[in-house]
Amino acid sequence: MGKLLLGRYLQGNSFVHRLDPRAKMILCFYFVLIVFLCNNWQTYLLLSATTLLCAVLSKIKLSYFIKGVMPLIWLILFTVLLQVFFTRGGTVYWQFGPLTLTQFGLLNGVFVFCRFVLIIFMSTLLTLTTPPLAIADATESLMAPLKKIKVPVHEISLMLSIALRFVPTLMDETTKIMNAQRSRGVDFSEGSLVKRIKAVIPLLIPLFVSALTRAEDLATAMEARGYRGGEGRTKYRRQIWQLKDTVSLVFFGLVTVGLIFLRN
Amino acid sequence: MSHTYQVGTPLEEVAVKEVSFEIKNQSFTAIVGHTGSGKSTLLQHLNGLLKPTSGYLTINGHKITPETKNKELGDLRQEVGFVFQFPEAQLFEETVLKDIAFAPKNFGKSEAEALEIAREKAKLVKLPEAVLERSPFELSGGQMRRVAIAGILAMSPKILVLDEPTAGLDPVGRFEMMELFKQLHQKEGLTIILVTHQMNDVANYADHVLVMEEGQLIADTTSKELFSDPSWLKAHHLSLPQTTDFAYQLQQRGISFETLPLTEHELARFLAPKLNQRGKIDG
Ligand SMILES: Nc1ncnc2c1ncn2[C@@H]1O[C@H](COP(=O)(O)OP(=O)(O)O)[C@@H](O)[C@H]1O
Ligand SMILES: [Mg+2]
Repeated sequence: MGKLLLGRYLQGNSFVHRLDPRAKMILCFYFVLIVFLCNNWQTYLLLSATTLLCAVLSKIKLSYFIKGVMPLIWLILFTVLLQVFFTRGGTVYWQFGPLTLTQFGLLNGVFVFCRFVLIIFMSTLLTLTTPPLAIADATESLMAPLKKIKVPVHEISLMLSIALRFVPTLMDETTKIMNAQRSRGVDFSEGSLVKRIKAVIPLLIPLFVSALTRAEDLATAMEARGYRGGEGRTKYRRQIWQLKDTVSLVFFGLVTVGLIFLRN
Repeated sequence: MSHTYQVGTPLEEVAVKEVSFEIKNQSFTAIVGHTGSGKSTLLQHLNGLLKPTSGYLTINGHKITPETKNKELGDLRQEVGFVFQFPEAQLFEETVLKDIAFAPKNFGKSEAEALEIAREKAKLVKLPEAVLERSPFELSGGQMRRVAIAGILAMSPKILVLDEPTAGLDPVGRFEMMELFKQLHQKEGLTIILVTHQMNDVANYADHVLVMEEGQLIADTTSKELFSDPSWLKAHHLSLPQTTDFAYQLQQRGISFETLPLTEHELARFLAPKLNQRGKIDG
């Protein structure tokens, strides 16, 4: 079950890898926002060029990014088709009942497609170049101001890191138990709906049992090592804001200026 | 056959490289090799959980090629019982008996027949009568593993495939488990294919040994043959069984053996007369 690329970290030492995780998170969210400012091909071109530049700076092969899009391809195509057939305006090329194929429709379809791809590329870049635990730490650090209004920031971040840490473990576990039950004659992929739902029980029960056992072990291990919550706790991995992080922010600022200048 | 994981992705990985071997009916075969050498991958081909990405294998007359459909594998799954590493993770039913009866029910037996088989297999793996109606989650680790193994035996397989079945058990539990497999091999006539890191078990139980290294098969031999060459084993970072190691060290101090003994019995038989002699000279 190694198909999910979203959330997978690739070790490296590129410029993007070395950026402060907080900078990367801010920029990634910021980028998702400014993608929605795009409204013509010049603006999309500008952001595509920006994305491409970031991808090149990360020294990660383009195929990894394309793999990131693949799991969502059906959702994207569906949305694009909705846009294509239900947007009106401009020259009409083809019409059938409520469906029309127009100039604006096609243009919108292409834009929506670009929007999806840009957003996915950028978030894939974040997860490919940042270890999950660094993302959790960055979240905690960025949400720190919320502590003032009694949001349990440390606990949220801890939950996030534990969840992230155990996703691959649980996926391996799922494969293993599925194989074990297949060996006992369970067929997960065939038969009627009822039969398939029934086949899930021998998978879910062992999975829950192992997840709960794991949780209990983890809690015991943490208590045994004196874990007492976030109060006064220092970090083993310190995140240090450097000049290149500021430079990256400024660069994205400039891109935004260009964007506002180019959009109509 | 060969097996490559995630073909065509950036994460492609050749786990088993062009291995070719034959396992005789009713033999006791051990597969050894370091972690990550491809043992589990190889094993999962034996009941069609994985299909070779190139090449083919034939098991009990079933041929598996990269094109074989999952539907054609039903009979094979029943003939080849597969006990995974830490098989207790597969338990899910309310009672021990029901869990053991799960596989035969899947392969078309009626409820009553399946429970009958379950009772019989529980006895075979020496589960006490008293635990049969209890929840499998209340048992000790060793007992849970017996339940899981009984659950596989309940399909009445002809071949039993075991992936590190004694991992995580205490020495007594390990010994009892291995004795169980020996009994299944000798009394029930099962073909046993066992992955293990315990060279003692290889020496004591297996007649045929396959050694894997980085996805390749580097030895296909008998246990006698394998352990007669300590320097080859050392070169491949594999250890000797305790007894053989002891004899090897004696040999280096001047006691010569025709062939290095594999079991305590053989060693004792060889040493006893010599010790007697020494006793006479000294006395
Ligand atoms: N499901 C999988 N997906 C991708 N690679 C795998 C998978 N399972 C095993 N591998 C890889 O295949 C190689 C052989 O693993 P495995 O057969 O489990 O070895 P062993 O059982 O000898 O320890 C390892 O390098 C492992 O990382
Ligand atoms: Mg293994």
